[in-house]
Amino acid sequence: MRRDKPRQPVVAGIHALPYSKDIGMTERHSGALAILGALADAGLTVDDVDGICRYVWQPTTEMEMARVLGVPNLRWFGAQDYGGGAGPPTMALACAAIELGLADCVVVWRSRNRSSGGRPWAGQMLAEGQDQFERPFGIVRPADGIALLVRVWMNAWGWTREDFGRVAITVREHANRNPAAMMHHKSLTMEDYLASRMIAEPLCLFDNCLETDGALAVVLVAAERAANLDLTAGPAYVTGYALGSGPQVYAMTNYYADDLTRSPNSFVAPELWRNTGLKPGDIDVVQIYDAFTPQVPLFFQEFGFCGDGEGAAYIASDECLTYNTSGGGLSEAYVHGFNLIVEGVRQVRGVSTAQVSGVKHCLVTGGNVVPTGAIVLSKEPW
Amino acid sequence: MSSFAPALPPKPVADLDTQPFWDAVAERRLVVPRCTACGAWIWQPRPLCPRCHEPGPAWVSVTGDARVASWTALHPPVLAVWADQVPFVILLVELDDAPGVRMLGQLVNEAGALLMTNGAAEGLEIGSAVVLRWRVDEAGQTLPAWTLI
Repeated sequence: MRRDKPRQPVVAGIHALPYSKDIGMTERHSGALAILGALADAGLTVDDVDGICRYVWQPTTEMEMARVLGVPNLRWFGAQDYGGGAGPPTMALACAAIELGLADCVVVWRSRNRSSGGRPWAGQMLAEGQDQFERPFGIVRPADGIALLVRVWMNAWGWTREDFGRVAITVREHANRNPAAMMHHKSLTMEDYLASRMIAEPLCLFDNCLETDGALAVVLVAAERAANLDLTAGPAYVTGYALGSGPQVYAMTNYYADDLTRSPNSFVAPELWRNTGLKPGDIDVVQIYDAFTPQVPLFFQEFGFCGDGEGAAYIASDECLTYNTSGGGLSEAYVHGFNLIVEGVRQVRGVSTAQVSGVKHCLVTGGNVVPTGAIVLSKEPW
Repeated sequence: MSSFAPALPPKPVADLDTQPFWDAVAERRLVVPRCTACGAWIWQPRPLCPRCHEPGPAWVSVTGDARVASWTALHPPVLAVWADQVPFVILLVELDDAPGVRMLGQLVNEAGALLMTNGAAEGLEIGSAVVLRWRVDEAGQTLPAWTLI
């Protein structure tokens, strides 16, 4: 990778509105507040913004957001698709614009009224495109889609429900330390987990992420711009990122490629290690996309933290890297993984409520059953 | 939740690339697109062969004999139309006649009626042999479905 030090992307500001079941405002409103908060965190104003990048899956376009905020001119704008896969790719697109010199200050946001706004699939009656071969048979909720893949993984590698329960409990314990987490005051035991009701077998209630109203934003600037800012909380440098789809990919219902045990992340991982020059042993903490618990052991094996099929044994071992320190999508908030990015920045800043000591590199991933990506946030520049 | 819940199941909407599949289903025939040049079986349907880009795949009739590649069983909350029918099983099957092609369908009895089960009582496993049946859903839509043999 060509590395132009003055153009290295830097996370200069972050902000998250309080998570809730009913935020009481539109997504354009909460998104604007999140962006203003992130700009204030960076010591910047709307007049500094010259680029915007958004998740495709939200009702507010980047132009509408620019109008709401009164951005004088956008030199660059873009968007990334695919739901839970979109977090790191949205960041990556903004980073690429900064590295190319197309923009100096790009805001990236995600606002979603997923709790009060209802379940997006529940009102859908017409099954078009790929859906025509899936929804009429009952594959309607996200959990239905991934459940079929999870059973394949359990069968291939002997994973058990207890393995998934371990993930749910680990992230819940992190949420119990995080006052901002929706599940901050709720404990979870293996007994609770195993007794919970089924949603889409083999997935039970606690294998599923939360339903949240939330809004978060990140401000990315070029390193040469960051040098002139008073970043009291400290910069988080973007060391690198990667995207991947794999062959014949379908978002969530990725049933049709040759190998059902490989997710798009298995294509992201080698690309990420190549782009960053890092290896698993260089990573100090990870924020793994966790809309569903089985995505966590799959992450560890596909990124090479352990061998193929060893993900569940790895997370049960003492060697397991600390993950999802805010409580993740399962226990902090589900905002299509954007809280994982913000938590990654907090780990680099050293201000997480479950802080890992001496963090140099934090890896953040997108969903691994959709076209996806990953990004490494670092304490030091290139 | 109830205000969002439709009383009918999701309706398949065919397009130019998929219409032959649904036309065949209406006649209770299962067809799978196959490249006329390189012979690749193709699923889901598309206008070109993804291997050699030959346009206009042929729609080949298959028996529907299959093996179970995976399955799930749905529990509440589900669409209102299914609320009284869960748990039912959705199968991902691999077709014997079209190697590599996996498609979805519900687990039904010999007569094509949806079974209220999570598959345990039937001994459902990955690799179980299934055969094609036809189910008419709550909206009158014919759908391919499978039963254990």
